[in-house]
Amino acid sequence: MASIEFLILFLVGAGIIAYLLTKLNTIVGSIFTIFTVMFVFVSLAQYGFGMDIITTVKILPGISFSQSYLGFYFAILIVFIYLMVSFFHPYFIDKYKYKDSYNLLFLLSLAGILGAFYTNNFLNLFFFFEIIIWTTMFLIPQGKSKEAAVSYFGFSLAGSVSLLLGVFVIFNSTGTFNINDSLALLSGNSAVLVFALFLIAAFAKLGAFPLHIWLPITHGNAPDPFSPVLSGALVKLGGFIAVLALIKITPATVMFRAMDIPIGHYLVAILGGLTIVFGTLMAIKEDDAKKLLAYSSMSHGGYILVAFSILNSMAFAGGFYHILAHALASAGAFMAIAAVSRVTGTTKIKELGGMIHKMPITYLAYLIAIISMAGIPPMGGFISKWLIFQAVIDKGMVFVGVAVFFGSVGSFLYVFRPLAALFLGQEFTEYKHVKEAPILMLIPTFVLMGLNIYTGVFPAAFLKVINNIIVELGYTGITYTTYVISGNNGVLNPALISLVFVVGILIAFIIFILLKKSRKVELMDTYTAGNFIHDEHLFHYSTDFYAPLERLYEKQSHWMTTFYRALAEKVKELGKLGKYLFMSKSLSVTLLWIISIIIFLLWGEVL
Amino acid sequence: MILSIFIGISIALFGFVLQTSIGGINRKIIGRLQKRHGPRWYQEFIDIFKLLSKRSVSHGWIFDFGVIMALGGIIATAMFMPLTSTFLAFENYDNFFIFVYLLAVGMLGMAMSASGSGNPWASIGVMRALTTMLAYEVPFLIVVLTIVNLSGNSSLTEIMLYQQAAGNNIFLIALPLGGIVGFIALMGMLGKKPFETYIAPAEIASGPMVEYGGKQLGMLFILHEITIFIEVSLFVHLFLGGATNIFEFLFKYFIVYTVANLISNVNGRFKIDQVVKFFYKWPLLMAVTQAIIAIYFGWVI
Amino acid sequence: MISTKYTEKKKFNKQEIDRKWWEVGDYFRRNSLWLLMYCTGCCAIELPPSMTSAYDMERLGMGPMATPRQADILLVSGYLSLKTLRRLIYTYEQMSEPRYVVALGSCPINGGIYHDSHPVINQLDQYIPVDTYVAGCMPNPESVLNGFVDLMEGIKNKTANGWKKYHKNYDWYKKNQFDVLGEVVIDDEFHQ
Repeated sequence: MASIEFLILFLVGAGIIAYLLTKLNTIVGSIFTIFTVMFVFVSLAQYGFGMDIITTVKILPGISFSQSYLGFYFAILIVFIYLMVSFFHPYFIDKYKYKDSYNLLFLLSLAGILGAFYTNNFLNLFFFFEIIIWTTMFLIPQGKSKEAAVSYFGFSLAGSVSLLLGVFVIFNSTGTFNINDSLALLSGNSAVLVFALFLIAAFAKLGAFPLHIWLPITHGNAPDPFSPVLSGALVKLGGFIAVLALIKITPATVMFRAMDIPIGHYLVAILGGLTIVFGTLMAIKEDDAKKLLAYSSMSHGGYILVAFSILNSMAFAGGFYHILAHALASAGAFMAIAAVSRVTGTTKIKELGGMIHKMPITYLAYLIAIISMAGIPPMGGFISKWLIFQAVIDKGMVFVGVAVFFGSVGSFLYVFRPLAALFLGQEFTEYKHVKEAPILMLIPTFVLMGLNIYTGVFPAAFLKVINNIIVELGYTGITYTTYVISGNNGVLNPALISLVFVVGILIAFIIFILLKKSRKVELMDTYTAGNFIHDEHLFHYSTDFYAPLERLYEKQSHWMTTFYRALAEKVKELGKLGKYLFMSKSLSVTLLWIISIIIFLLWGEVL
Repeated sequence: MILSIFIGISIALFGFVLQTSIGGINRKIIGRLQKRHGPRWYQEFIDIFKLLSKRSVSHGWIFDFGVIMALGGIIATAMFMPLTSTFLAFENYDNFFIFVYLLAVGMLGMAMSASGSGNPWASIGVMRALTTMLAYEVPFLIVVLTIVNLSGNSSLTEIMLYQQAAGNNIFLIALPLGGIVGFIALMGMLGKKPFETYIAPAEIASGPMVEYGGKQLGMLFILHEITIFIEVSLFVHLFLGGATNIFEFLFKYFIVYTVANLISNVNGRFKIDQVVKFFYKWPLLMAVTQAIIAIYFGWVI
Repeated sequence: MISTKYTEKKKFNKQEIDRKWWEVGDYFRRNSLWLLMYCTGCCAIELPPSMTSAYDMERLGMGPMATPRQADILLVSGYLSLKTLRRLIYTYEQMSEPRYVVALGSCPINGGIYHDSHPVINQLDQYIPVDTYVAGCMPNPESVLNGFVDLMEGIKNKTANGWKKYHKNYDWYKKNQFDVLGEVVIDDEFHQ
């Protein structure tokens, strides 16, 4: 029997050992990290599904745990992503400046995550959140830029402060820090206030519009193996808080009669829609593969918000399934890009080309991940998007529908870009020497490929877990059998779709193989209108891929950045004013203070 | 199950034969429209078989694999398609979203294969195709949202039966604005002028198909015919009340495709950004207006 | 009267089957000829009337195509300078097999009015095999279409096998090409 306290302490202890081992030898330390995370994953998977984890606390002071299907769902998912990513460490860790502490921080942040999802106390939740933020904040700057960490920390801090304020409001009105009890007791205006504050925290963590600026900067510049964790796992913390706010609080506000949905939730859904549209448009424009995927995470965060703000079990199932599907897909895609980045040293799309010829397995991993991300069967993303569409259509949410459909079609555009320009296209001479990723890095790649397909073909196993959560949240679970999911307005049989797809491929393959064999030609031997071109860089269409589309919103695309830059300027000016008033050594300011204090004192006398 | 799969395969084959014949007849009609004699009605079959008989070139495994994946995905999509309100391969599983997203597998396969050829024109063509898709899908899906919301079911046969039920008009009449949007979106889906930006033979050398010849191009032609079959059938089922027997289906199918083709042949070609602007101006506005008045106010003819 | 003598049952061997299939393929090929128009000279002006309503090439199943990969016929219309010949050969080698070459006008036959010009080649079939010539300066649309019908006859009678000739006499063609073009050392695609 695994105790959650033991797991956390184990992770902390293992982190220190990993630090010492990494100091001796980075490979040994990294492999130790893999086994540590594997141990945690296996114990969670062994006991967590049946809610058999011991939650009593013996050593840690002031901390209490309880288990719920909700927390477990997030925890197991995130630990799984951590496990997958840890396989990449031996090959990457040498590149970083503070490599000794890398594994330590990695394991500590995992400890924080376990705590955050298993605690039943708001103050503990805040404490564990801070652990996650502080540990990851030192991991991120080891990548490309230090500013990324500042941006990450700034927005995370805004989120945590808002969370803390919410917690105080809760304590003020209910007198308890216990999560379930206090949320049940909450009512009236304080419920609305907590709803808003928690949502700010959720938006900040999820990178939703308008608090999304940090997401591409952080994901794009974080160390290559850490980006999958950020996108697949840590962003989902926002989803957890969104569940707390949107489903567990549900303040009684005015209802939209046409859609049967509270106005606050509708606003969140609209903001989710804006997140989707904004993320999609920015991702289409982006040239850095990692930043592109970061924007895609943002737009998928929008889907999660939309799903949780539509208050019915179909949408919840879609939201939870989307968290799973997107975590797997985005981890797969980020890891494929990391594998490419390891051998080429760049993630800029326009500097890369034809990687498929040297890294076919990485390519397949990326392909399967993006098929899931774009919501195309037979991958997991299709199931979740189908469920969300069902809910949106059933409620008749037209404007949210525009955003949801836009994001869904737009995702074909942006996920295809790295595929076309980075993996396909002309093979560059400078990358002719590169090799496929080593076997240890291919293990998680294959596992993620398999899971991406499995979630899309046999969703029943996952829907069982999700139904537990939905029942726990007080709604009735969705109906499904081994193969068939029943929605509000239709049924879906993912296994049948996959079977028919395989049949189709088989027919096409038979047609293909029966016909005359093709003559193999070089990549450069293509139609050039009769011209001779000898430089493959000139024959590779990758820069400004969607130029005609980008041109349409070129001017508008800088609005948010400009806004935040202006805000930062204002804050800086305020700081300068403060500095001038309080830190200045000039006589006039001192005189001003003396005079004003005297005036205040006199004023007090008069009153 | 085996029987259903065979029915599905025969539906895909039927769709191919049907669309190829009607495509040929339409070439004849267009010929007459331009005061020409026009080709034989079975010319399209000859073209496809000729391509299959030629020896082509291949640019590597992804070039071939993409074609197989594309054709496989499209055949799979066609297998789900109901022909009439009672005749379909997989009862209950003809969900609308399967068609939209399974169709995308085919498109993705083709795009992958085209980019895998290493020709920049192919990539440009794919870029244009995807951009056009972004343009027409959103208004179309909003109209479908309205239809599914009204009929309470996203299964195509159920939508057909809803329209055939006494007292209900077909959705082209019930939702006039939506019907127009649906047809414009259909033109975009079929790649007919003025939305033919991604083929553009004189501009980008037929876009995604630039490197194909021989059997790969032949398979893409088959894919193209089946895709048109799926798209036109979707329009027939969603907006024209589907069909109760096969002849009604053939009649409606022929009318829709011919009208689209005739409109196409008196139009020029939009630029790619004009396509996007066009679809996000009037059709989207009309679709949203239609959705609001139909869902929130209940004004359905 | 049926002979009573024992004859061995006629068996289709592989070659026979291949030949049959090839004939079936020939039917499709000759009824669906797609052109890649290499419009270098003035003869190209005769193509629009032969394609549009006056003569309507499409009724024979013919039509223009965008790239050499898709096309069956390489239609050389007019004279060929050395610079264009290089590109013509490149294009020809990119086409899918079976491929046919149709040469319009007198320039590809003997140089035509450019016969004494130093950068223009005189005989096209020294460099790539030509299946059908359409003589005239310029040939009118009727003779252009007549040339295509001749090519169809040629495909039917298996006389239009220039692409096989090219494989068979590859060295000879290459030698001729090198002799006239010379070897060009290429390091910049904008200067050759």
